[in-house]
Amino acid sequence: MIRMKRLNQTIIIALLFVILTAGVFIAGCTTTSQPVNQTTDTRQKLVLATTTSLYDTGLLNYLEPKFESKYNVDLLITSQGTGKAIELAKRGDADVLLVHSPAQEMTFLKEGYGMNRRTFAYNYFMIVGPANDPAGIKGKTPEEAFKAILTQGIAGNGSIMFVSRGDASGTHTAEQGVWKKAGYDYAKEVQKSGNWYIEAGKGMGETLQMAGEKGAYTFTDEGTFLSYTGKLNIVPIVDKGTSLMNLYSVMTVYAGKPQPEKITMANNFVNWLITSETLTDIGNYGKDKYGKSLFTPMSSGVPAGVTADFTSPATETSPLKVEPAVANGTVPDAILPDAKNV
Amino acid sequence: MNEIVEGFSQAGNLIVTLNPDLLQIAALSLYVSLCATILAAGITIPLGGFIHFREFRGKQALITLIQTLYSIPTVIVGLLVYFLLSRSGPLGFLGLLYSPEGMILGEAVLIIPIILGLVITALLGISRNIRDTIVSLGATEFQVILEIIREARFAILAGVILGFGRAISEVGVAMMIGGNIRGETRVLTTAIMLGTGMGEFSLAFALGIILLAISMMVVILMKFISRRYEP
Amino acid sequence: MIRIEAVTKKFGDTEILKTISLKVLKGEIFTLIGPSGSGKTTLLRLINLLDTPTTGKIVFDGTDTSDNEKVRLSVRRRMGMVFQKPAVLNTTVAENVAFGLKFRGVEKSQMESRVHSALDLVGLPDFSKRKAITLSGGEMQRVSIARAMVTEPDVLLLDEPTANLDPVSSEIIENLILHINKELHTTIILSTHDMIQGQRLADRIGVIMDGMIVQVGTTNDIFYQPAGKDIARFVGIDTILKGVVKTNDGGHAEIEIGSALFEAITSIRPGQRVALYIRPEEVTLMLPESGSKKTSARNQLSGTITRMVQLGPFIRVTVDCGTLLIALITRRSCNELGLAVGAVVTAGVKATAIHVIPDSG
Repeated sequence: MIRMKRLNQTIIIALLFVILTAGVFIAGCTTTSQPVNQTTDTRQKLVLATTTSLYDTGLLNYLEPKFESKYNVDLLITSQGTGKAIELAKRGDADVLLVHSPAQEMTFLKEGYGMNRRTFAYNYFMIVGPANDPAGIKGKTPEEAFKAILTQGIAGNGSIMFVSRGDASGTHTAEQGVWKKAGYDYAKEVQKSGNWYIEAGKGMGETLQMAGEKGAYTFTDEGTFLSYTGKLNIVPIVDKGTSLMNLYSVMTVYAGKPQPEKITMANNFVNWLITSETLTDIGNYGKDKYGKSLFTPMSSGVPAGVTADFTSPATETSPLKVEPAVANGTVPDAILPDAKNV
Repeated sequence: MNEIVEGFSQAGNLIVTLNPDLLQIAALSLYVSLCATILAAGITIPLGGFIHFREFRGKQALITLIQTLYSIPTVIVGLLVYFLLSRSGPLGFLGLLYSPEGMILGEAVLIIPIILGLVITALLGISRNIRDTIVSLGATEFQVILEIIREARFAILAGVILGFGRAISEVGVAMMIGGNIRGETRVLTTAIMLGTGMGEFSLAFALGIILLAISMMVVILMKFISRRYEP
Repeated sequence: MIRIEAVTKKFGDTEILKTISLKVLKGEIFTLIGPSGSGKTTLLRLINLLDTPTTGKIVFDGTDTSDNEKVRLSVRRRMGMVFQKPAVLNTTVAENVAFGLKFRGVEKSQMESRVHSALDLVGLPDFSKRKAITLSGGEMQRVSIARAMVTEPDVLLLDEPTANLDPVSSEIIENLILHINKELHTTIILSTHDMIQGQRLADRIGVIMDGMIVQVGTTNDIFYQPAGKDIARFVGIDTILKGVVKTNDGGHAEIEIGSALFEAITSIRPGQRVALYIRPEEVTLMLPESGSKKTSARNQLSGTITRMVQLGPFIRVTVDCGTLLIALITRRSCNELGLAVGAVVTAGVKATAIHVIPDSG
């Protein structure tokens, strides 16, 4: 009908508008948006996906300009949680993966998504809780401490509680490792065993806040905890034990449609990260703000029982088809949670 | 409560000293939300007109669907758009992930149902009488639609303002598409989320106050412009 | 000018207009009168091409309007319509009036002067800048007329234009309509349920009832010689008498009504059943002269007043003379005659004022 014509014209005009706008946007995308003090950015972009606990310490913001100026690259750091980081990497939306979850990293490598993994620094997790330590875990090993908390928590006088990240992050994975080492089936005996065990589903900072509010115990990395000094009324109680080892690794991502320039630049990042200068910088980070360093670089000495490669140059441009003979950079004596639990 | 008071003073401080990070983040927030709103309005006003003026089977069902989409969780929209724009997704070649333009697209998708629904409601509010008068005065079909949209302009503007408010306060989509990358895609809302996660509540409040201030300026500006159109 | 041929209009299952055929002549004022709900608005909307007939067609100045939309649009642009409830758009009066010109792509420079003339025409020359929605009902309606007239239409349609207005505004508008027709030679089609208005304005009247045109004719035709009982009632004939023609001598007939004999002019043969329509204004009342006998010739009947109802400046007097005769008298006459309920009067009506039609039942 003829009356269709005019209305269809309207639709066409609207569509043209959309296409035009889209065109402008696409044009805008090939040049990067402008940070306040810079001229038009034509540098190569490298996307680094990391975890919130690591990002929130501020280490990466500290390292970013150093790398960018050396290689004239625009480093885009996105921190959305360990799970998201790995997802992004698998879909090819990240070029470099920087997390602290060895079990998940090994699976990642095995599945052919990554290469050139280098474990470059470490610190320790801690079990923190109320100063009066109602469960009496001071001086125990992490496994004994967890056992004590669980037993008393289930017995249920309500004053013993534990807040877990509950979000499959690196920290959460490490927590599960401790439960497993203590002899518990996480899914059956820990989760849903009572109101004492709270699965927050949140980032480290918010989990700490929740623990502080509830006077509960929780499992945290040192860096995040330090940044909350003075704001919470929970303190470190157990900070020694091999299962508290927190290993940070970096690797090049090989996923989606890998582009050679991206892989080269990602390898550059890995190589730069493990140079002695950078490692020293990492070791010094935090001293002025917290009075102590937040990270111990592997260059200061690899802890007992840990195998970490932090020296071989990153050269692979595609993952080896052969499984490495020795598992690189895994936690000693730790019984790793199965990939399924993660 | 302390943090709220501190938040106000921190907000004031950041503004007065023209803190460059703040300016960049605020400008980006404004840019992304405004563009998303304009894009969404450009699509929904003609589309709303089309849906309103045409009779077709399933029209009521469509309108119900649109209104249902008011409640769509933003994370779902974020996921959907992410899958589209991901490098391994169908529109990955556009390279829109981690860019403000990608965020504009995501936010536009989010607010389109709201603005569309309100445009249709606005048009429904124009009486049959007015429509008859316009037709009787010899308007072509196109002119009729244009005039009725003009008659409904205030209600439509209200819808657009609501869309803008929704866009600028959006966290989920902004985070998932933009990645909260410092200096590139960090906007007020994702910065607030970051601050909260790091326990910096006063900063979070400060940013929230600034966001509201910007919103107010935009709303006032939109109303001012619409009043200029009044004879 | 406009020919409506066998048009019906259905909405869903309801048939609103049933086979309407009508002609409107160029330059006349054609009034559609009928009770509310009889289909006047529907018919006008069809003529204005706002809706399409279910069957039948409308021909405008030789053009068949059931063709494509393009033809309909160009025909529609030769008409203007004023609706019962004035619909003004949310902008100034001047912009409202200019809409028709805007749609037709008239240049801005021309627009201003034409708008000004249109506003002059309706007597609102200083209203240009006022916000249309702040106007009174009567003013809005005049703006609607200006808006319709500014495009110099061949035909102006008005749907019960004064239905919602006060008498003063109504009169202004009625005069405006007459002016537009006489001075600008615009053909006018007007609908109303007010028969007095119809009488005042029309050249020809079409009576519509229940979706059908029941009579078309001049004012005189309709008001004095209505074609049926319903029409008669509608146009204000209060006295309807039924009887049989007794004699007929070359047009002068005697009609037997009950025990009374009426003289009337008709060609109907004796023996036929008839109905007599008598307008109340035609009934005269006199005080019985002393000594005069009841006569049944020359339609003078003696009776008693049973009812007196005030009708504006008039009084409607019901006289029972065996049959009921209803008269419409001025108050002054009433007072002069000293009429009151129960009084005995002589009611009379001229033979020529009686409208006789065959009585079908």
